[in-house]
Amino acid sequence: MKYLSALALALGATIAVAAPARADKQFVIGVSNTHIGNSWREEFVCSIKAEALASGLVSKIVLANREAGPSEQIADLRTLISAGVNAIIIDPSDRKALDPVIKQAAQRGIIVIAADQPVDAPDAYIVTGDQVAYARVGAAWLFKQLNGKGSIVEMRGIDGTPGDGERKKGFDEAWAKNPGIKIAATTFMDWSNEKAAQQMSALLASGKQFDGVWTSGIDYTVIEAIKAAHKPFVPLVGADNAGFIKQLIDYKKDGLIGIAVSNSPAIGAAGLVVALDLLQKKSHPHWTQVTPAAWDNTTDEGVAALKALYDPNVAPTDPVYGPIPKYGHFTAEQEKACKGPGE
Amino acid sequence: MEQVTTPTQHHSGRRTDRLRKLLARHAALVGMPLFLVVFLAATVAIHPDFNAFDAQSLAMAALPLAFAAAAQAVVVISGGIDLSIGSVMAVANVLAARTMEEADFGTSLLLAAAILLAGAVVGAVNGALVVVSRVPDVIVTLTTGFIWGGVALLILERPGGGAPDDFLALATGTFGTPWLSNSLILLAVSVAVIWIPVRASKTGLRLYAIGSDRVAAFRSGVAIGPSRIVAYIVGGLFSSIGGIGLTMTTGIGSPRAGVLYTLSGLAAVVIGSVSLVGGRGGVVGPVIAAFVLTLIPSDLIFLNIDPNFGQVIQGTLIVLVVMAGGLATLARTRK
Repeated sequence: MKYLSALALALGATIAVAAPARADKQFVIGVSNTHIGNSWREEFVCSIKAEALASGLVSKIVLANREAGPSEQIADLRTLISAGVNAIIIDPSDRKALDPVIKQAAQRGIIVIAADQPVDAPDAYIVTGDQVAYARVGAAWLFKQLNGKGSIVEMRGIDGTPGDGERKKGFDEAWAKNPGIKIAATTFMDWSNEKAAQQMSALLASGKQFDGVWTSGIDYTVIEAIKAAHKPFVPLVGADNAGFIKQLIDYKKDGLIGIAVSNSPAIGAAGLVVALDLLQKKSHPHWTQVTPAAWDNTTDEGVAALKALYDPNVAPTDPVYGPIPKYGHFTAEQEKACKGPGE
Repeated sequence: MEQVTTPTQHHSGRRTDRLRKLLARHAALVGMPLFLVVFLAATVAIHPDFNAFDAQSLAMAALPLAFAAAAQAVVVISGGIDLSIGSVMAVANVLAARTMEEADFGTSLLLAAAILLAGAVVGAVNGALVVVSRVPDVIVTLTTGFIWGGVALLILERPGGGAPDDFLALATGTFGTPWLSNSLILLAVSVAVIWIPVRASKTGLRLYAIGSDRVAAFRSGVAIGPSRIVAYIVGGLFSSIGGIGLTMTTGIGSPRAGVLYTLSGLAAVVIGSVSLVGGRGGVVGPVIAAFVLTLIPSDLIFLNIDPNFGQVIQGTLIVLVVMAGGLATLARTRK
């Protein structure tokens, strides 16, 4: 064990020596994420690294990345504070538990950004995708395809999570304007590809009739389940996952129509853009909400946009995405490399 | 006790022999603090600005894990294992956050006492099930772990609740100097108040006896069942303090908060030189090991190494410690 600490010592010394000299306007950015092995969260972190490189204003990303709860995230944030970062981008594990440590960071002049999900702390700036709009855009499109009449299946995320609650609100907003739409079934597929596919298979086997499907962003395996059951396609709302985008392009001739609503992990990069603005004394509102982009395959322009978006190197259930307009400038290569400045 | 740093060379003279025996017996008490000092020194080398803020971070972050380690240590010493510790911590965590949200400081202390009692009862139930059902403890506590996990979700469906600020300050505040975190005092006092009387009494001796050799203990007149239950009760007590500690350091209750602590606690027990076959070790070693395990991820952040390597390092440490323990035993038996 002494060897281990000696190794740590040596490593520490090497890094201290090797640390690049900071240019004038170079910032150190801390990132705290508490879900690992989740592709969306990996992309979230990669988008921050890519944007850090693209901005030219960041000298180093200090990453706290482990599977953890609020207690560990508090410890990680304290470590980032201690590491002397200029700003911290957090995907918070809890809305309230981080408030005291966020306050301590703010008192030290550190800019704190809660990206993806909000926190209560008044000292933090919040950058989120508009989840209410996310659900509303897709649901409104679906109801329009059905001319406001018919029954649909609603496949929600994880019951009780803030994200699912917000999306339910948006879905209901669109539903309230379409009294002719009935809900044949509501499921919670827990944002699991396998679970969503099982539920769709069970629904098809039950003989329940439905004219459309709204999903909370799990799409590829649902369509595969419909195909496996040899049932006709119905209009389907999904997200910007690579497999779904390919299905929208390839199965259009077989009668599949659908819309890909973006819930871009580049919201992490958006958080960095806001942080860098604030570090350069540009002002920002306390809460920035990014409206989702959406692409459907009913028009030729839509199909062309989907083709431009599609990336064969991305796994079918992973999102394809670019920077959010006005909130990111990184290139596709930078995003794929997933390397921050100096890495 | 397992040897960590004790030399095994031959010395002559009765005095050195006695010293050697004493050292061997308390190897963890000497070795573990040394181990921690080495890690702290490495941390300071990596992060020369190490100050009171970092000391406070360490003390706060290690608090729940230290209690999980203490809880597991007692059960393992008695020859058992408890895989429900994380869930019991979650129950205590959400009970505290749910009931203390509107309470004042005095009421919160009373509620904390009631939750400790509940923790002891939960421990007793775990122990009784193990003894009465004769189903292996791994399976019983794995199952009750699911039950307590469900209970935690029933008490508090999603993260929330709270506790009064002065109650939270029992862990998040400092005492006298900013270097001395209240959570360190809370930990030291709790371990001393619960463990020292147990360890010094016949009850403690029975725990070691049944862990070391159950048949021999039975033949010497030790009531095996009740003694095993006592171990789970003490474990339940430590787990519930750990859960309350989580409420103190996070300010909320989280029904899934305990998930990570069952296995991390077990890791701390092994690194803290408690023999997994029972009968050897103490509570102080695992508690100190909890601090070492807490230092690793923050050191990796300072070094800018992917903190996921923390798990790799933790696993490597366990293997090294177990191997060192095995070699030490081998060296002793060869003599």
